[in-house]
Amino acid sequence: MSVVLSVRDVVKTFGAVRAVDGVSFTVQRGTITGLLGRNGAGKTTTIRMITGVFFPDAGSIEWLGSDRDARDRIGYLPEERGLYRQMKVKEHLLFLAEIKGKRGSSVTAAAERWLKRFELWDKRDSKVEELSKGNQQKVQLIGTLLHDPELIILDEPQSGLDPVNMLLVRNLLRELKDEGRTILLSTHMMAEAERMADEIILVHKGKVVLSGALDAVRDSFGKNTLHIDYEGDGGFLEQLPQVKRATIVPNGAEISLADGADPQQILEATIGKLRIRRFELAAPSLEEIFIEQVGAETMTMEASR
Amino acid sequence: MNKMFAVIKREYLQAVRKKMFIFMTLFFPVLMAALFVLPGLLMARGLGGKKVAVVDGTGALRSSFSRKISPEAPDPKKAISGGNRGELPQTIDVEYADTHLQTPSDGAKPYLDRLNVPKESGNRLDAVLTIPAKAFEGNDAKMTYYSRSSADVISQDRLASIANRAIQKQRLAARGIPAEAVDTLTREVPTEGVQLSKSGEKKTGNEFNFIIGMIFAGLLIIPSFIYGLETMRGIVQEKSERIVEVLISSMSPRELLTGKILGVAAVGLTQITAWLTIIAAGGAFAAASAKMAGFNVSQFLRPMVFVYFALFFLLGYLTFVCIYAIAGAACNTDKEAQQLVAPVQMIMMVPWFVMFPIITNPDSTMAVTLSMMPVYGPLTMFARTLVSEPPVWHVLLSIAVSIATIAVFFYVTAKIFRVGILSYGKRPTIPELWRWLKVA
Repeated sequence: MSVVLSVRDVVKTFGAVRAVDGVSFTVQRGTITGLLGRNGAGKTTTIRMITGVFFPDAGSIEWLGSDRDARDRIGYLPEERGLYRQMKVKEHLLFLAEIKGKRGSSVTAAAERWLKRFELWDKRDSKVEELSKGNQQKVQLIGTLLHDPELIILDEPQSGLDPVNMLLVRNLLRELKDEGRTILLSTHMMAEAERMADEIILVHKGKVVLSGALDAVRDSFGKNTLHIDYEGDGGFLEQLPQVKRATIVPNGAEISLADGADPQQILEATIGKLRIRRFELAAPSLEEIFIEQVGAETMTMEASR
Repeated sequence: MNKMFAVIKREYLQAVRKKMFIFMTLFFPVLMAALFVLPGLLMARGLGGKKVAVVDGTGALRSSFSRKISPEAPDPKKAISGGNRGELPQTIDVEYADTHLQTPSDGAKPYLDRLNVPKESGNRLDAVLTIPAKAFEGNDAKMTYYSRSSADVISQDRLASIANRAIQKQRLAARGIPAEAVDTLTREVPTEGVQLSKSGEKKTGNEFNFIIGMIFAGLLIIPSFIYGLETMRGIVQEKSERIVEVLISSMSPRELLTGKILGVAAVGLTQITAWLTIIAAGGAFAAASAKMAGFNVSQFLRPMVFVYFALFFLLGYLTFVCIYAIAGAACNTDKEAQQLVAPVQMIMMVPWFVMFPIITNPDSTMAVTLSMMPVYGPLTMFARTLVSEPPVWHVLLSIAVSIATIAVFFYVTAKIFRVGILSYGKRPTIPELWRWLKVA
């Protein structure tokens, strides 16, 4: 595997706020890399520096392995979507390709192929403003891919999509990866990242708190997390002495065990209270890891004040 | 370069397809002409159908006011330029009353009452002119003109001058000068304005220079404002609809700005080309009929006028558009942006407000100075070339100043644009804009 993009110690401040504070990571060719973090963690600012919208105050962003203009190698779907409302769909797509340096019959053919695939062929001559929001999103996504980019940067691509379109995007990303393209996926939805990403970069308050291959990251947290599915009210699980932390959802819980705790004791405690359907000791979910990392960091920061 | 071309193409095609563009292209010259010719025609019309009572306390002026009114349509040229002041205007219907046997107030009263009767009665008067009994001798004698509309100065002036001439004639007759001799002695000699240029051509019809000049000046400056505003709205729209991020991640802000400005400039050039074609075609047709009215339209349709028009339009537009682009980049809504440019717009409009003195006196110090100034140069210099022949170095200097102005404006705009286009906060103040300029 080779590195496509290398981000080194980039800093961006807005007034007194350090939105991005010394972020470094690399993106490997042919992977889906998840850039994760809460809203306001610095994900979008980092992406805007990669796409050339902002100049970093310090640090460097390096592109490797091609002499094509860096801007033209990226397909960028911004978090805040925007299209010219008055333009016709196909015309708009060709414009988006043209500002990435691609024009001519091959692009027109590609646009037509994408429109058919996304069930927008009938709407090719409609104005963008006549389309539903979901369809506008699809148009923007096609616009991101039409110029055949090497690196596809998607900022919250699934926000505002219905489950069917979410599945469509998910399948599309896998397909793009299979074609050998590199994808940088920014999201705050951990479950989604867990399904898609090969590599993750966890950002919090402008700093990278965790990064690496998803499997390796999860393994490093050990197999001391209980995943339980049940029927009944599991609220009492939180109070048990063997539990360090519990995330309770309706009909299920993810429990971090206290050091040296025996999971068997927890199972015993549930007898007569819950009807167990699944009881598994495994690595923690990404969400759990995220909460642990960010929680710990937040606590140390508060203690240092 | 290709990316900039993509932006130019998009801006151009989007604009020329709009219904507003097609409408403006076809009807704006007509509209401009109407704007300046109509008031003249209306003024002339306004003289028609007027019923005025002349209440003569001397009882001796009947013959001057009893001419039969001809039903012809008014001649707009005469209506505007004044015609022969001694004659009764052909469109005023005079009702003469000899009241020298009555007291002045008794004599006038029935007529004054008729000023305010309902129009339908057919008996209504538009004005009443009273001439005092001692008009011939009294040093402090005064005529009074009563009317419903105080603005009707033309009718008042006309009637008063007729009365005065009649009174003067009678005074002279009283001193033994025969009536025929009086006419000869008091005849006015009419004046015709002829402009003799260096190249030796003669131009006549000076009173129409103003109207033609205003029409051309309007055609030159109004599109600059319209397309400036259009560019500003486009930028605000790209910001508010978040298109700008995709654009800026694909090209430099300078490429984007240049593409937008040139695209809209191409739209403007297309439009004025269409206008000039319409004017040339219409002018050739109108020239024949206009000649009958005593002025020569074709003297304004020299080829150089068209060249200067296109050139100064472009210079004017490129100067103004930068200001609009800054406003667009700095603001998030059309309303905010318009508030920001409104005061600047007033400053830019200065030559338009002083167009009358510029056209009537194109070589005055004011006209020459304005034509060499940044921002004001294009419109003023165009107006000067239209109505006179300024020295070539004046024209070249004006063009050079404009090009330098545009270069500086563009440099500043590109910098502010770079910062502003990605800022979504509240509208920046002027000091903040200044800081942006230094940061970028």
